Amino acid sequence: MTTTLLEPGTTLPEWSVPLTPTIIVSTAIATRDFQDVHHDRDIAQAAGSKDVFMNILTSTAFVERYVNDWVRSSTGEGAVVKGIAIRLGAPAYPYDTLTFTGSVESVEDGVAVLKVTGSVSLGDHVIGTVKVAV
Amino acid sequence: MSAGTDELFGVEEAVHAEVMAEAERIKALGEAAEREARDPVNQPTINNWLEAMGYDDPRWKAGEAPPSMAQVWTMYGLGGKPPADDPLHGMMRVLTDAGFTAVLGTNCEQEYVRTLRVGEQVRVTTALESVVGPKRTGMGVGYFVTSRNTWYVGDEVVATMLFRVLKFVPRSKETTA
Repeated sequence: MTTTLLEPGTTLPEWSVPLTPTIIVSTAIATRDFQDVHHDRDIAQAAGSKDVFMNILTSTAFVERYVNDWVRSSTGEGAVVKGIAIRLGAPAYPYDTLTFTGSVESVEDGVAVLKVTGSVSLGDHVIGTVKVAV
Repeated sequence: MSAGTDELFGVEEAVHAEVMAEAERIKALGEAAEREARDPVNQPTINNWLEAMGYDDPRWKAGEAPPSMAQVWTMYGLGGKPPADDPLHGMMRVLTDAGFTAVLGTNCEQEYVRTLRVGEQVRVTTALESVVGPKRTGMGVGYFVTSRNTWYVGDEVVATMLFRVLKFVPRSKETTA
């Protein structure tokens, strides 16, 4: 079923995550990332950051969730994700909104390549390339 | 022809030579600093992660772990420290000592050979892949440091990751580089 969904040019519906301090902190801890800049605002600000900010494992996880949720809602079965490559840009702070858009770039040799972008008010937070088996 | 000062963006030749020599030494270590995950792949950790991500798929309640959790299993944990022979942290230390004190993650590329299953014990190795620079970036002058992690179950490679950071002198402090 995913072979008809994963066609080059297909776009994914936009998905937004309103970012709260709870989301930034609980995702960092759930990924077992205890770097203080992800859960302690005083330390983050002393280090020159506006606030605590999302950790990289969570940016990757949200990219996975975005693609998997779309495939699953369209076909009833989740995606077989083979790779997620992300380039990091603007930090994702609490009280901002992380909005994902995406499209299928190519399908070759049984692998669909999707381009996914997660943006915040400061610009692109994450630009991802996701490989999904078809 | 030796590298001109322009190409070094103000970094002293001796400092650059030392950075690149250390990079070669650490790269030659290959896959090093092997460590075991604290716990086997387990459902409570998956559930905490799913709750935090707001992510719901019955597959992740039926014995498989979400692919992007691969790195989670071998995180150092609260208060955990990389071992002295860790190639990534060794290279970071070289650059910090050379004045490139700030760090920014720029790329993270994960490949999943297969999903992990509840009960599997994962281990990870770290290798220094490359050190490129100095480069002038919007953040300041610095080096791009790329490491490669390889996750294993037994002798089977289950996932890999290329992780790139920029180690740089913040622009306001560039004159001290």
